[in-house]
This record gives sequence, structure tokens and C-alpha cells, in this order.
Amino acid sequence: CHQDLDQTPIDPDLFTEIDVYANIDEAKSALAKVYASMALTGQQGPAGQADIAGIDEGFSQFTRMLYNLNELTTDHAVVGWGDPGLPDLHEMDWGAGNDFTEAMYYRLAQVVSFSNSFISNAGQLGTEDAEVRSFIAEARFIRAYAYYNLMDLYANVPLVTEITANLPEQSNRQEIFAFIEAELKEIEGDLKPALSNEYGRVDQAAAQALLSRMYLNAEVFIGESKYAEALQYAETVINSAYSLNTTDGNGNGTAYDELFLADNDRNGAQNEFIFALNFDGINAQTYGGSTFMCHAPVGGTMDPAFFGVNGGWAGYRTTKGLVEKFESSVTASDAGAPVAWSDARANFYIDGQNYEIQTIANTFEDGYALVKYRNVDVNGNQGSDASGNFADCDIPLIRLAEMYLNYAEAAVKGGGGSVATAVTYINELRARAGADAIAQGDLTAQFILDERSRELQWEGFRRTDLIRYGQFVSGSYLWPFKGGVQNGKAVEDFRKIFPLPNNVLQINPNLTQNPGY
Amino acid sequence: QEIVRGVVVEAATGTPLPGVNVVVQGTTRGTATDFDGNFAIEAAQGETLVISYIGFKTQQVPVTGQPMNIALEEDSGLLDEVVVIGYGTVKKEEATDAVDVVSTEDFNQGPIVSAQQLIQGKVAGVSITTGSGAPGEGSNVLIRGISSLSLNSNPLFVVDGVPLNDGGVGGSRNPLNLINPNDIESMSVLKDASATSIYGSRAANGVILITTKKGKAGELKLNYSGITSVYEPVNKVDVLTADEFRNVVNTYGNDDDIARLGTASTDWQDLIYNSAFGGDHTLSAQGGIFNIPFRASAGYTDQEGILRGDKLERVTGSFNLRPRLLNDDLLLEFNARVSRTDNTFANREAIGSANAFDPTQSVYDVNSPYYAFTDANGTDFGYTSYLNAAGTQQLNLAPTNPIALLDLVKDQATVDRFVGNFKVDYSLPWVEGLTATVNAGYDYSSSEGFSQTQPNIPTPSIGFDGRRNDYTQEAINKLFDAYVTYNNDFGNNNLEATAGYSYQQFEFDNFSRSEERILNADGSLNEEASINQEFIDKSRNVLLSYFGRVKYDINNKYIIKASLRADASSKLNPEDRWGYFPSVAAAWNIHNEGFMSGGFFDQLKLRLGYGEVGNVNGLGDYNFLTRYVGSTNTAQYQFGTQFYNTYRPEPINEDLKWEVGSTWNAGLDFAILNSRVNGSVNAYLKKTNDLIANTIVDPFTNFGNVIPANIGDMENKGVEVELGVTAVETENFSWTINYNVAFNDNTITRLPDTQDVGGISGGVGNTIQRHQEGISPFSYFVYKQIYDEDGNPIEGAVADINGDGQINTDDRYFYKDPYADIIMGLSTSINWNNWDFQAVSRANIGNYAYNNVASTSAINNVFQNDILTNTHSEILTTEFQQFTEVNLISDYYIENASFFRLDNVTLGYTLQEGFFGNPLRIYGAANNLLVISNYSGLDPEITGGIDNNFYPRPRVFVLGLNLNF
Repeated sequence: CHQDLDQTPIDPDLFTEIDVYANIDEAKSALAKVYASMALTGQQGPAGQADIAGIDEGFSQFTRMLYNLNELTTDHAVVGWGDPGLPDLHEMDWGAGNDFTEAMYYRLAQVVSFSNSFISNAGQLGTEDAEVRSFIAEARFIRAYAYYNLMDLYANVPLVTEITANLPEQSNRQEIFAFIEAELKEIEGDLKPALSNEYGRVDQAAAQALLSRMYLNAEVFIGESKYAEALQYAETVINSAYSLNTTDGNGNGTAYDELFLADNDRNGAQNEFIFALNFDGINAQTYGGSTFMCHAPVGGTMDPAFFGVNGGWAGYRTTKGLVEKFESSVTASDAGAPVAWSDARANFYIDGQNYEIQTIANTFEDGYALVKYRNVDVNGNQGSDASGNFADCDIPLIRLAEMYLNYAEAAVKGGGGSVATAVTYINELRARAGADAIAQGDLTAQFILDERSRELQWEGFRRTDLIRYGQFVSGSYLWPFKGGVQNGKAVEDFRKIFPLPNNVLQINPNLTQNPGY
Repeated sequence: QEIVRGVVVEAATGTPLPGVNVVVQGTTRGTATDFDGNFAIEAAQGETLVISYIGFKTQQVPVTGQPMNIALEEDSGLLDEVVVIGYGTVKKEEATDAVDVVSTEDFNQGPIVSAQQLIQGKVAGVSITTGSGAPGEGSNVLIRGISSLSLNSNPLFVVDGVPLNDGGVGGSRNPLNLINPNDIESMSVLKDASATSIYGSRAANGVILITTKKGKAGELKLNYSGITSVYEPVNKVDVLTADEFRNVVNTYGNDDDIARLGTASTDWQDLIYNSAFGGDHTLSAQGGIFNIPFRASAGYTDQEGILRGDKLERVTGSFNLRPRLLNDDLLLEFNARVSRTDNTFANREAIGSANAFDPTQSVYDVNSPYYAFTDANGTDFGYTSYLNAAGTQQLNLAPTNPIALLDLVKDQATVDRFVGNFKVDYSLPWVEGLTATVNAGYDYSSSEGFSQTQPNIPTPSIGFDGRRNDYTQEAINKLFDAYVTYNNDFGNNNLEATAGYSYQQFEFDNFSRSEERILNADGSLNEEASINQEFIDKSRNVLLSYFGRVKYDINNKYIIKASLRADASSKLNPEDRWGYFPSVAAAWNIHNEGFMSGGFFDQLKLRLGYGEVGNVNGLGDYNFLTRYVGSTNTAQYQFGTQFYNTYRPEPINEDLKWEVGSTWNAGLDFAILNSRVNGSVNAYLKKTNDLIANTIVDPFTNFGNVIPANIGDMENKGVEVELGVTAVETENFSWTINYNVAFNDNTITRLPDTQDVGGISGGVGNTIQRHQEGISPFSYFVYKQIYDEDGNPIEGAVADINGDGQINTDDRYFYKDPYADIIMGLSTSINWNNWDFQAVSRANIGNYAYNNVASTSAINNVFQNDILTNTHSEILTTEFQQFTEVNLISDYYIENASFFRLDNVTLGYTLQEGFFGNPLRIYGAANNLLVISNYSGLDPEITGGIDNNFYPRPRVFVLGLNLNF
């Protein structure tokens, strides 16, 4: 009976490596997990069989955490919820045991592990096949994208490119920067030409756009500016098959809001999405992603039906820091608070909301609400989940508008190119939103930062942008409750990078905690 | 030699005993008594006959004359008591280990559905806590404290030699509900590892051996035992009354809030709880069929819960047959137990919702779209709900009407279970004292259940048209044991040796289907948004073992024992699969020494033992293999216009090995004053090494951030004292008192990372407990509250523990743990003429509970999200305005939950010839009569220490009848 000790799975939902990499069709389902690990949270949507343990499953979704780490820590957002560690993010006093900084680290490292596993196994399928090469290149892109975020958020993380149980050594930003740079350049050839891959899968433009983004921040990452490279790659993408969405499907006078609707995979917005995460109210459910973006900022007198959902979660609002970035056309006479804007991107909801924030915790009324994602199509019909629980909207992680802004910033900061072209790009974005065109003289570095705030609000850029401009921790720019005080205050310099998880430090002696924590 | 004739009778009744073994000592000559108790055997004058019969004291009678009249006494004496141990029995006098036996006469009384409760409070160091007040609810049993961080901490239950599956049974409230407590003869609790290590890998948390009642040959005897009981709710959660609530809203609310107040005064808790009734009836028969001893029983239990609609109905049957063949050399034993349990689960969400729902609202509302009933005037009423502006849907964050939750969610399950074994003992004729045993066992359970939510339940989901989840679960546990036992006397010495093999296979097969219907606005079914999913979960594991044990008894004074068990589990990788678990123990019967003769002590025994046990109970299968798990249809990913199911590589640990617990135990047993005072003291030190816990891994090295791994060590140490006193013993009056007390201290001695455990309600993802090296497991990890001069907590003010000038999660500290430092049990029984009286009580000292019901309260919470929510009346004291993480996790809510509980009081009267000349006993009992505690919540006795929406334990009044005929 001793051979009875060698039991193998009898569960029909459990598979072996041989099953999964049996052929290219099966392997595509493994590739789907590499992408899905950034969009969903486990194998049983919306929750169940979680990828990450130790945190609420919905909290562990990548874009939701990206929002919490890169937007909630800035002037773009505040939240009234008291979940452990969440209030610390806007107060900028998070510790090394913070649940969100921990979970994001786990999430990104797991994306790296899933990618590593896919890259090493997919090779067996035969690399002479162009589709297989694209599969592998896409997984390498996802890994590079995960490393970009690890470098941006945590700086000093291990660089691991294959599956191993050995405890990894720590790397620094220089090494990771070099790795990402080399990877993205190396896979360019294997990726499909811009906009020629299936929707949802990345192509050459994604690699180029990520290079542009990384070069734009090179001074922060490696202490050396690379604006010329940032500009060059932005330009390559701008000249690719991607185009800004100008289809105003719902006829409200702007094509900007179409980018964030339930049908943004087919209403024209998809032509602007270089790398988007795909959600679906029926087939791809999570409590993060666009379900979070369509519920969490809805509260007060806001009508959930307008957002295509069955109710709000009364959580996130914005601060006047963001509101002030927009030129207002009307100011209420008594309080001096702006109440109307011509720029469609200033989509603030003000009924019942106070401009000034007195209280953050447990309230929704202080701070204007912001209308960003809505789970309705261009005709105003609710997304596919008729019960109104889960949203369809896809979330762009890289879209063409960012390349316009990268080009402009790189041009203004001495990266070459043409400032006149830069102004044209900026004005294209502004025209789409119904904002006035600017003159070449208006195009300063600060203006571009503010324009990024206007264009890319709540899309996960703000913290990185403020750091690049030296405004994240310093006293040179304050917003309500920065540092936990109502008028805002400077915080310690070390908060420009997040701590490594305490738990991981305890088990991997090769790692040293980031300074200050 | 001549033919010696005689008769064997039962001493107490004079009834002849058939099937009694009669053997001439030191020879192979033997026989058995016939149906009338008669025997005839060849024997010479001066030879000794050994008369033995299971359940009776063995007698040695020299052949003097004839006929020989022999009266056997029932074996209930202290020293001759036979204790069931692993793969055999041992006379209590020869036992070397800490083993407690509780038999029928000492069992707890009252409406007991589950076997664990029979010995609650009876055994030192054994803590038995029912999960809630629901009927037939499972119990958490801890022997000498918790000894594992994430694996199962419950002991192994072995029923007549069949170790039960350690997993739960789907649709069942308690896996032990298969056994009718009336069928249980005794329960042996093996506490220290020198006793349990013969069960090796499954015995890490102790072993409880359940021996069921067996038949004795003789005339047919019937017994009926029945009770009827009433359950009454005792306590309610102290939420604001309707008037207090109005006051708070009027004081702190704005105009919108005040406008939301209703005019009713509804005590929601009064509406969800009710008095409940129950009955339990068992009829048993035993005797001999063609001289073959048998016993059979049938039982019926019907018990309601105090949460409206909760109900358990159970039918049990048991059958036992023990023929002896081949001149008694071959003993066959067949045991079968079947049960069918029908559970109706009341929706426990109603408990939390009753605490939260606005008490100024009435249950029903004409404006609610969630139809409830039509009154006599033809007006439609719906369940009162907080609705959106259009009045069409319940608001997203509103509590759901508790009555709707009870009325509209139906949750039922039927569980069938069979546990049976067939055992063959063969006394090998060619070697004296050698017995071969084969035991084949089968434990099968099959569950089928569903929960169905009606379309008219208040919900934020648009178009919701009902939900139904169906499930089936099958678990099969097969056992095959084969062992030989050698037992022989060498002069005054005795050698006993056992060696054997055991094979167990555990298999489960779960299936579930969930369906949810979503309608379009026009009332047609929306196929896309409707859910129809199926899940399958199957697994199998095998445990294979070899074991051996040797015991040598020198002159009944010095006893030494050693055992070794080798276990292999398919859950572990081939290199680490085998675990070897040795034990050694020695005992010294000091009272048998010459210098003690005629002395003060009837018994004085010193014991010392050491043993090791392993543990992989509760560990998932296949952790060491590379596996991929597929995704469900709601977790697909879109490429192009198509959705793809995904494959996820699972976290892997190739290096998992056995958790090993090693225990030192020193004990002293004594009996004085004609054994009227007896007791024992045990001291133990238990070290568990390589504890398996779900631990953080460097996430770059695995496919998840947490894997089960052997990472920690833990130490339990403690002292247990048991004392039994027969204060009075006369023909018509006896009074006994039993007391036990146990001190236990539990520390994690190695753990490389900390682990947050103990999820609580309030916010999302909050935990209140943490495992960390150097402290007790499950210690509370909290903020330190700051108080004002009057001793009232200051809102949001907690100590900056790390002194960095900021309050964040790094300022939490360890404060107390949920496990009692001292647990005690005190019971007494009095018999006076035909009256009998019993009282059983317990106390826990030093256990702390987290009052999660109070900790989520804040005045601001009353007004959240455009609805009114009721809250704990604690806010009238604290006046906390804001619900914040700091308040939620404040040590203010960690309370001393030490308690004294009077579990049971029973008063009975026996009419000796009350039922056609047979004895008839009637009795009344009350359970859960009294709890004394400073704890402010509903009940201080909460498994795990987190008090949140606890299903209250009722007070029970019982009327019982027991008759023999």
C-alpha cells in the first residue's frame, strides 16, 4: 500500500504544468492570468480563492491600490473610511506595517512571479511561432510594468527574473531601471505593431510608452535626466496607429468622458488605450477596478443610477487642490467657492458638498465629489450587470494623452523636440475637453504639471508627478490635510518612497528597510 | 482431575451470566458458561479457575468443592477499572499516563445532542466551549490549551477504534452529532503524549476515545430514556431602545436625520428570538440472541433554536453484536451506527441586523416594495427598508430588515452518516497470550443542502429575483488496522507487547451550484446578468502507519512502557513524508510497596512520561506539488471580444514536514480513606516544534505571499489537579464532590514573522489579534486607550507607543489573550433514598474578550449614509462621536471575561417498582442557570475571544424519564 502515499490531485479544477502548457490555446489561459492578476483579485470573481492573503480581497486589486498609493496620498483625493492604514495614506504618516503598502508590494511581486513562470514555461511551445514570441514578450512587458511600479513605489526591491525558492538579494533603482530599459528595448521586436494585437493585449507602443514614462522620471529614479529619450519615445507612440479619442458618443460636447464609460472598449476610446485593464460586470468581476471607481466616489445626493450602479460607497472625494487647477467660470458670491467650469475635465459634483474640508473621517460632504468613471454606455444604458453591482469600464494604465503631456514636458525641460508642437498637443487635449487654447508663452513646466493634474486626475500619476516636481513632501505646495493638518504641512523627505513590508524584511535578511522607516 | 461444575451469576442481581470465560490458570483448558450460567470443566483440586467476563471484575477461584457458585461483580472499582487506550485497554492501576475516563454515571445531563458536552467541565485541562446557543452546535475542544497556530487544534475522536475524519461535515452543525449520547458508555481523554503517541500523527491535540455501550448476553432488557425541554433566551445585546435612539438622533442629528425617525418602538431582538422546545427519546434493547450478546438502539431528537426557525431533527440507530466462536478464542465484534440529521438553519445575519436596525421603525411598511403580506383591508405591506429616492431599491449600505432575513432565507441540510467497524480478535492457540486483531472501519457521510433567498428580500441589487445555492458533500474515511498483542505473566511480572499496521484513506467530494436570477426592467429574465455557477472540490489523502508498544509490569509496583509509531502522510513530499514518534513512560505503585502496607494510602502512584506526536491535521493536500487552479466564469479575462478562463499557479511548499509535539508529563495519583478521597496531579511541559502556520514568504520566491510552512515553536506548560471526595456513603445516602483545576500557560517561542489574525467587523479587513514570538498566541494587538481624570476614555486619544510623534498602525501593542489561565470544574451529586441530585459548574479565570459589538459604536455611525443605524448603548457612556480605526482597535474594548457558570442542576426521583415492577426515574433539570462575570457583553464564553453577533446560549428547563423493563 505504500504507493498509495503518492496521491495526485483528483479535483477537476486543479491542473498540472503539462495540462497548462499542452498547447498554445491552453497557454493563452495562463497568459490571461498574467494580465488578470493586475485586474482581478482571485480565481473566483468577485471574491474567493484570493491571490493575496492577509488583506480584504477587494482592497488587493492593483488599480485600486495604485489609486490609494498615488492619488489618495495627494491633493487629488481624500477618503472617509476608517479601514486600517487607509487614513494614514492621505495624512502621509503611514508606517512600515501599513496594509496597503504591504499588499501592493505583494501584488506586484506576484505579478513578477506569474510572469516569470509563464516566460520560462511558454518557451516549450516553440519560439519559432510568432504568436508564442508575442505571448512571451507580453509577459515580459507586464513584468517590466510591475517592476516600473516597484521601482517607483519602493525603490529598493529584489530583481528576480526566474522562479526560485532562494531568498533574493536587494537591488536599487539604478539596477531596476537598467533592467526595465533593456527588457523593453529587447521585446520591441517580438511585440506586435501598434494597434495590431487583440484588444486588451499590449503591442510595441506599450513598450515605447513605458520607456517614455520612465525616462521622464529618470532624474528621480537614477539621478540623471533623460528628457531627450522621453521625448523621442513619446513621439514614436504619438506617430503610431494610436489616436486621441474624439468621438463624442453621448453628444455632451466632449469626447473626454467617453474614455471612462462602460463601453470604452468599443466607443472609440479604445484607440487611445495603449495598455488597459479589462473589466466586465458579468465575466470579470472584482471589488476593485472600475467597480471600485464607479461606487466608491458616489455618495451624498449623487444619483447612483447616473453612475450605472445600484448604490454608492460614499468614500472618496477630492480637495480644493485639484479644483483650483481649473479656471472657473462662475464663483458663488457668498463663499467664494467655484461652482462651474467650462473644462469638461472639471467634472465636480457640488450639490450638498462643501468646498472646504473640515472633516475627513466618516463624512462624505466635505470636499467636492468628482465624476470620473461611470458604468453606462454612450447611450446612458447601465453596463452588463443588470443588478448594478459590477462595472464594465476598462481602466487605461497608459493612454495616448499621457504621451502628449510627456512630449510637452520633455520639450520644455530641454529634451529637444519642438515647443510649438508641444503647444499643439496640449491644445488638442484642451480642445477635446472644451478648455481654452493656450499660447506658447503659457507652456511652463508648472503649467504642464497642472495640465497633467487636469487630464490624468485619478489615473494613478499624481504622486509620481509631484515627486518629479519636488512638490510631494515639501512645503512649497500644500493641500488640505497634507501631513494630517487642515491647512497642510510639509512632511519628511523619506516619504517619497514607501516602506518595504515589515513581514518580508523579517524573513529575508538580505533586505534592508528603506531609510526613515 | 475431575469435572468441576458451577454457575456464574451477576453479584448485584443474581442473574445467571452466559458466555463467561472459565479457564484453568496456567493451562489451555477453558470453557464458557451456557445460557443459564452453568459451566463444566476438567480441573483438579487446588487448581485455580480464572473467571472473566467483559465489564466485570475477573475472579480467581481455587477449586475446592462443587458445585462452585461464583458471583461476578461489575467492574467499576477505582483500581480495577479498565481504561480504553489506543489499540487496547489497560487496568487503571497499570496505567502510566495521564488518562481520564468519564463514564455514563458521571456524564452531564440535560438536553445534550453532542458527545463533547457530556464531559464539559469534568476533566482537568480540557476546555469545551460550545460555538453558540444553536441546537446541536459544535464545540471547540482544547486539551491543555491551544497547540497549533493554524492547523486543527481539536483532539482526535476515536469511536470504538475508528478515528473519525477531522474535517467538518457540510450541512452539519457538529461532526459528532452522528452519535446518540445515550449510546455512549464512556469517554477516555488521553492528554499527554506518552498516551497519545500511539496514535502518532493524528494525536497532537490529544485523543478522546469514545466507547459505546455493548450488549451483555442474558435476558432481553429494554431501556427507554426521554426528555422534553424548553429553551428560553436569557440576555439581549444592550443596544439603544427606541426612546434612547430618538433622543440621540434629536440631540446629534440634523433635520434630515430627525425626519427619518419613525414612530414605532420595536425591539428587534425580541422579534427574532423566541422560546424553543425540544425532545429526545432513545429506546435500547440488549441481551443475547442464541447466546450472542447484542445491543441495539434507536433515537429521535427534535430541537428548536431560540433564533426563530432554527431546528435540528435527528434519527439515530446503533447496533452491536459480539459473538464468540472457537471456544472463545475468536471474538468478533460488529458495530454500526447510522444517523440522519435534518437541519434547518435560521439566518444568523438577522442577529447583527437586529442590533443595527432602527428601533423606531415598525416591521412592515405600506411603502416598501418588498412584499410581505396583504392585510384584511386589501392593503399590501412590505418589509420596512431604507430605500433610494425613487423608492425602488434598498440603499447600498443599509442593514436589511431582520424579520425579512428570517422569513425569506431558507437554509436546510440533510446529513446522513454511517460509522461502522468489524473487528476480529483471535487468540492464537499455538502461543499462549498472543492475540491477533484486525479492525476494518468505515466512516461515511453524505450531506445535501441548500439555501434559498426569496425574490422579495430587500436588496440593493436591481432586478433581483431570488438566489439559490445547492450543495452536496460526501466524505469517506476508510480504516484498516491489523495488530498482534502478546500478554503473559512471568511469575509476578507481566509483559504486554503490541505491534501493528494501520492504513487510513480520507476522501471528500464536494459539489455546489449557485444560481441567482436577475430580471430586466420588463420582468423578463436577464440571462447575461443571472448567475449559474458550479463548483467541484475533491481531494484524497492517505495516512499509513506502523506502531509498536511494550509494557512491562514488575510485581505490580514498577511499570515501564515504551511505544513507537511511524506515520507517513500523502500530504507531505516523499522525502519528509515519514515521521517517527516515540514515547516512554514509567509508573511506580508506591502503595504496593511493603513499607506502605496497612498504611494511609489506598493508592499512591507516581508517573513520569515523555512522548512525541506529529500533526498535519487540517493541512491541505498536495501543497508540495506544482498545481494550477482554473478560474470561474466570473473571473475571466478579456482578449479581443472573447473572455478566457485563467490558470493560476498555486503557492507551493516542497519542504513541508511534520509538526512535532513533545510532552513531558509527571503525575501523582492517590486515594485515601478507603478511596473516599482520591485524586491526581499532573504537571506537563509540551513543546511543539516546526509548527505549521500560514506564513509570509518573500513573494518573489513563490506564487503567493502566504504559504503553509513549518515556522514556529510553541510551549505549553501547566498543572492539573483533580480531586474526588465521597463525603458521605451510607446505604441510603451518598454525596460525592468532584473538583478539577488546570493552570495553563502558552507561549510562542519561535516565529520569524508576525501574523495578524482575528478578523473583526467594522471597517474592512481589520484584525485584533497577532501571533508573535515571545507571547501567547492570539494575543490582542491594540491601541492603548488614554483616559480622562474621571476614568472615562478620551475619544481618539491613544498612546504613542513608539514615541515617534504620530499615531499609526505602528503604535499597537499586545494586551491580554482570549485563553483562560485557570479553568475549573466543580460538580457534585447526592443520592438520598430514591432521590438523586446533581450540579455541574465551571469557571474560567484570566480569559479576555474583545467586545466587537460595543467597539463599532459611535454617535456618528447612527447617521451614516443617509440612513439611521442603531448602535450599542456604550455610546451613552463614551459619547464617542466618530467611528475610527483607533477607537475600534482600542484596548478599552478588551475586557476581562472570567466567569463562573452553573451549567446544570438535576433533581431526580426513582420509583423502584414504578413501571410494571421495574425501576422508573423521573427528573427535572435546568441548564445554563447562572453566569457570574464582569464582562459587559452577552456572554463571556466566546470561542476565540471575539464577541460579535453571538447566537446567545439559552437557559434550558428539562423534564426527563428513564425506565428499564
